[in-house]
Amino acid sequence: MGKNVLLVDDSSTMRKIIGRSLRQAGIDFDNIFEASDGLEALAVLESEKVDIVLSDINMPNMDGISFLREKANRPGIKNIPVLMISTETGDDIIGEAKSLGAVGAIKKPFTPDKVEEVLGPLL
Amino acid sequence: MATNTESIDLYSEIVEGTKDVFSTMLMIDLQEGEPVLNEEINSNLSSILGLGGDIKGMLGVHCPEKTAKKITGELLGMEIESLDEDVNDAIGEIANMIAGNLKISFEKIGINTLLAIPTTVTGESYKTSRQQQAYCLTVPFSFSDNDLWIELKYIVINS
Repeated sequence: MGKNVLLVDDSSTMRKIIGRSLRQAGIDFDNIFEASDGLEALAVLESEKVDIVLSDINMPNMDGISFLREKANRPGIKNIPVLMISTETGDDIIGEAKSLGAVGAIKKPFTPDKVEEVLGPLL
Repeated sequence: MATNTESIDLYSEIVEGTKDVFSTMLMIDLQEGEPVLNEEINSNLSSILGLGGDIKGMLGVHCPEKTAKKITGELLGMEIESLDEDVNDAIGEIANMIAGNLKISFEKIGINTLLAIPTTVTGESYKTSRQQQAYCLTVPFSFSDNDLWIELKYIVINS
């Protein structure tokens, strides 16, 4: 059975770019779900089978850090891995994301090769 | 702890950070120019992103309609007919990534910068203003007969 991914970013352009990068990297998902903020992402995780989440940090309504914190409190979804894709690369914010369960981070801008390098071992 | 921003070559940091975004995401090799005055900007689309933390200011990406549609088309892999929501979003994301690189530049000299979510405006006759004491730098870029400008304005509030 194939895997499903959830892309979380307030930019629809960036969600499309990430989806295209996954295909260019040869990473094939059965379903690519999308959410524009943390709140929408939580709703998708509660209703769909998702194997991994790729999430931005700076977003309106619920940012990536708050999303990780809320997700960690929900037993049914807390173990779904989250990879951050963000312009935020500081040790403090990435450290906080990892302390809340993020499994890694990719800096924007990125290449499909970088996505494959970081995401590949997680699948 | 913030330090004096004169210890960093912001022109070079903007050039490197902007060229990095365009080469990585668009496979476009930008040509930079010498800094210009605000009055020389010829745009009808601007994505503005607020800067907070140890500084207060903004980073703007300004471009004419033709350039905005070209960048968006390259990012999305499709022909763009008009200045629509896709264009606003795409240029906003370009601004976001350039600001992310600039944030790293400021971190080198101990300045912590917070990035807001970009806002895009379109029109025929508008200009951005600044506080009188604000540092202001506008760098022009071009590619394949397209022009854009990156504008940085800020004051240090925590030094």
